Amino acid sequence: MEEPEELGGKDVEFVLPVDSDKKATEFRLFFLAPPHMRTFHLAWLSLFSCFFSTFAIPPLQPIIRDDLNLTDTDIGNAGIASFTSSIFSRLAMGPICDLMGPRVATAMLSLLTALLIFAFSLASSPNDFILLRFLIGFSLANFVSNQFWMSSMFSGNVVGLVNGFAAGWANVGSGATQIFMPLIYSLITSFGVASFTAWRIAFVVPAVFQVVTALMVLAYGQDLPQGNYSSVKMKMRENMSSKEGLFEDLFHGLKNYRGWILGLTYGFCFGVELTVDNVIAQYFYDRFGVNMQVAGTIAACFVFANCFSRPFRGVLSNVMAKRFGMRGRLWSLWIVQSVAALLCILLERTNSLMSSVVVMCAFSVFVQGTSGLTFEVVPFISKRSLGVISGMTGSGGTVGAVVTQLLLFSGSKFSKQTGISLMDLMMFFCTLPISLIYFPQWGGMLCGPNYIHSSSFAEHNYHLLA
Amino acid sequence: MDSRLLIVSSLLLLCLSGTTCHGSVLFSSLKRTLSVHASPKQGAKLKAGEDKITVTWDLNNTLPASTDDQYKKVKVKLCFAPISQKDRAWRKTENEMKRDKTCQFTIVDRAYDSSAKTEQRFDWVVERDVPTATYFVRAYAYDSAGAEVAYGQTTDTSKTSNLFDVQGITGRHVSLDIAAASFSAFSVLTLFGFFFNEKRKARAGK
Repeated sequence: MEEPEELGGKDVEFVLPVDSDKKATEFRLFFLAPPHMRTFHLAWLSLFSCFFSTFAIPPLQPIIRDDLNLTDTDIGNAGIASFTSSIFSRLAMGPICDLMGPRVATAMLSLLTALLIFAFSLASSPNDFILLRFLIGFSLANFVSNQFWMSSMFSGNVVGLVNGFAAGWANVGSGATQIFMPLIYSLITSFGVASFTAWRIAFVVPAVFQVVTALMVLAYGQDLPQGNYSSVKMKMRENMSSKEGLFEDLFHGLKNYRGWILGLTYGFCFGVELTVDNVIAQYFYDRFGVNMQVAGTIAACFVFANCFSRPFRGVLSNVMAKRFGMRGRLWSLWIVQSVAALLCILLERTNSLMSSVVVMCAFSVFVQGTSGLTFEVVPFISKRSLGVISGMTGSGGTVGAVVTQLLLFSGSKFSKQTGISLMDLMMFFCTLPISLIYFPQWGGMLCGPNYIHSSSFAEHNYHLLA
Repeated sequence: MDSRLLIVSSLLLLCLSGTTCHGSVLFSSLKRTLSVHASPKQGAKLKAGEDKITVTWDLNNTLPASTDDQYKKVKVKLCFAPISQKDRAWRKTENEMKRDKTCQFTIVDRAYDSSAKTEQRFDWVVERDVPTATYFVRAYAYDSAGAEVAYGQTTDTSKTSNLFDVQGITGRHVSLDIAAASFSAFSVLTLFGFFFNEKRKARAGK
């Protein structure tokens, strides 16, 4: 483990250039240099394993539903349950990271949820299924610790890009699982194991993977460039966190209407993405009659766009911001999300397998791009309450997932096709509030900046990032 | 671009909804000419992987002998009863045979010998991947083109009589339980070990 460094003492040599807080000002993707880049890789990998485990269930759903005698209602409820738990856990994760440090918070959550994945192999009734999916959903709170950790390690000028890569690459876990779980299952059944036993054995893989990443985080990670929370001096920690304390920051963040609007729009881009992750394999399996492996691969294509679409939307946002400022960021967010909604409508209308897959891929690029663009705006809302705003937006994502899953994909009320077309209409209308976001010194979508009040704005201690 | 796509999609939709577009067979067009019997009686409870079903089938003896001249193949299948299809869209009954999901397990698939006027018979141990549900047995007769032309089933038209239950395997094994418990214990111990270690270092540091 790293030796603790003292602030204000001798200058430690970091591989990457750093600012006054020792946060890296450059992002070199394929470096493993401690502490910054090593932390980046540990963070995205552990979140990847959480996504891998949580979404390991949908691709094997056709087998699990027969083994546990599930109904469509049970499956829908379980999907909702898995997102509901992550709403609360994401909100709680911010304060936990403040208390214990992101390293311990991440590892602890990963280890505890790994237990539940082992337990999932033992499920034998619909209630077990719903309960375990609820509990395993807690692991998605690692998204908050992931972003928090990156913000502690990287400086303002690159943090958007870093967050985009960390989140985007981690999200790929939910796609990788759609390919690998059916393959692991096929491998096990090829040894003559009964299908109802094979899927249980298959779950050992994501669980062990999660334990391994958690242990790596504990062994090789550190909370801050200077060391871990436990070894950093109290004085330094006071300097970092707000003088008024945690509750002030919380209240300050909750009061900000922009956080709520972004929470809503994130609900209908990332929330939609989560819901689609849950239903897309079954949608292709049931609608087009493809087998489980093919359905899983198609579903995975949906998620793999995350690899590049999220980070590069961050780049797009930076480019738009250079030319048009905050107004550019807001406009690009609205346009990309609206296009995603329209593509979703098209997905429901297409009837051939090939064109469905193509439309789905285009839809995935846009919907994931929107997620990236949202978090490009988040750091600018409030530096002081960054954790709270991130938590609100992040939770908004899962609330959106719960709402869409609950209204549209639970039970047999709507066919999956009708559910998809209603979801995209909701998406389109819930994107419109972005036009209401207004920053006095930068403007909003429809109005320019108000220069007269911008100086007093700064006096209100917003400390917005440039 | 959008309007052209809309036209193409509408054409495809019309085509698929038509019954003769690709010659897809409808269940309602099949004649019930086969007489099918299965050993489990109404309410019987069978165990997957252990119990046996004996199915017998032949042409309904009230029909002329030449009725089955076209039949080249017969498939006898295990089919879900309505109660096991409820709230489970992946087992839905559809009129279009290609999309119908009622009968998902094949008991036997063999050539149909129309010259042999005796009853055909097959013994089948319920396979381990058959899930817990209520079932009946149905046989489909196929012509030389591989399309369904006739059927027979053990239950009535409304699928309410002569249904039996299968209890599927759980898939759980003692070895799996032990493995899961061991790995879980290892995870928890590692976490506690880490906290203990950290506390020890902090105390040593002071």
